[in-house]
Amino acid sequence: MQHLDPDRLVLLALSEEPEELTESDHLAECAVCRRDLDQFREVAELGAESQEVRDLPAPPDRVWRAIESEVARTRSTATPVTDLAERRAHRKRPRRWVPLVAAAAAVVLAIAGTVTVDRLLERRETESVTARATLSPLPSVSADARGSVRVLADGQVEVDVRNLPLTTGFHEVWLLDPDDPTKMVALGNLPDQSRVVLPVPPGTDLNRFRLVDVSDEPHDGDATHSGNSLLRGTLTS
Amino acid sequence: MSSDDELAERLRAGDEKALRTAYERHGSAVLYLAQRLLGNRADAEDVTQLTFVAAWTGRDGYDPQRGTMLSWLLGIARRKVVDRLRSAARDDRATETVRTQLPPPDERETPERIVDRLVVADELGRLPEEQRRTLELAFFDDLTHPQISAVTGLPLGTVKSHIRRGMASLRRRWEVDGAAFGSRSAGPSRAL
Repeated sequence: MQHLDPDRLVLLALSEEPEELTESDHLAECAVCRRDLDQFREVAELGAESQEVRDLPAPPDRVWRAIESEVARTRSTATPVTDLAERRAHRKRPRRWVPLVAAAAAVVLAIAGTVTVDRLLERRETESVTARATLSPLPSVSADARGSVRVLADGQVEVDVRNLPLTTGFHEVWLLDPDDPTKMVALGNLPDQSRVVLPVPPGTDLNRFRLVDVSDEPHDGDATHSGNSLLRGTLTS
Repeated sequence: MSSDDELAERLRAGDEKALRTAYERHGSAVLYLAQRLLGNRADAEDVTQLTFVAAWTGRDGYDPQRGTMLSWLLGIARRKVVDRLRSAARDDRATETVRTQLPPPDERETPERIVDRLVVADELGRLPEEQRRTLELAFFDDLTHPQISAVTGLPLGTVKSHIRRGMASLRRRWEVDGAAFGSRSAGPSRAL
C-alpha cells in the first residue's frame, strides 16, 4: 500500500489543498496516514493558536521579589545538604557561615539514621570487617534508596547501594567529618553495578571521617562535593 | 542560550541564578497558564510564585531526559492551580457561601490545550529562523506555499521543505511534552 507523501500530508493538514479522491480512499483505509494527518492538523491548529502566546508579557516584578524572598527563607532553614551546595556556590567568599555549619552538624547526625550491625547474620565475615554503616536516603530522595558500607581490614571499603535515583552525571562516595561536614575525603565513584570496593586513602582517620555520603555529581569538572547528597550513614565498629 | 540540560545542572547544583534564568524564560508562560485556569490575576501571580519556589525546592526532581523545563514547570503550575481551586472550594464550604462558579469554559480551552499551545509556541521559537518565519506565514497569515515563496523570495521547494521539517519538529515536541498526549498516542509514528 502506497502511503501518502509527507509533503502532501502537511499540505492537507494546512488545508492548503483539498483531498483528491484517491487520497480520501487511502485515508479511509489507512490508520497510519489518518493518524499522521490528524496529528499534523492538530499541530497546525496549535501553531495558529500559538500566535496568542508568542510575546507574553513578563510577570510584574513583585512576583520575582516574592520568589526571591521565599528562596532566601528556605536557605536560612537549610539542612547541611544545602550548605554544601552553598559552599560550592560561594566558596570564594570568607567563611562567615561557619557557626551555621556547626549548628547543622547536629542535624547531620540526626539524618544519618539508624545504624545496624548484623553481626549474627554475617559472623563468618566479621573478622575481616572493621566497621560498617547502613546508608539511608535523605529526605529529597526516594524512600527505597538504601545502601550498606563495610570497612574491610585491608583498608578498603565495600559499598553496596540499591535504588539510587538515575543521574546524568555519576555517583560519588565520600567520608565526611560530622563535626565539620565541610571536611571530607573523596573515595571514588560508583560504576553501574550496585556493589563496589574502593580503597580508603592510607592514614585516613575513620573515627573522624565516619559519616559515609553518596552524592550525585554533575560532569562539570568540579571535583568538590556537588551538595547533592543522596544517601548517608555513620560508620560504627 | 543555555540548554535545558545545562540549566537543570546548575539548578541542581543550587545556583540561584539558574532559577532566575528559568523564570525569565518561562515565567510569562506559567503566569499565562495560571491566569487562564484561575481567571484571576492575583491568584495567578500567587501560583506563579508558588510554582517557582516549588521548582527551587524540588529541583532534584527535574529530569531533562523526561521533558523540557517548560513542561516540567507547567506541570508544577497545574498542580498548584488544582491546590488553589481545592482550597477555594474548602473555604466556600466553610463559610457556606454560594459562589457562582467560573463561567463554563470554552470546550476546547482545557488545561491540556493551553499547555500544548505553550509547548508548540516554545518549539516554534526554537526553530531555525527561516523555518520559523515560513511556518508563521502559514499559521498566522494563512498563506499558501506559493504565496510564502513570493513573499519571502525563497524557492518553492525550500518553502516546502521548511514547512515539512518545521511541522515534524513541532509534532515531535508535542508528542514528548504535550499535556494530553498520553491519551491521544496510539501506536508508533512514521518518521517524516
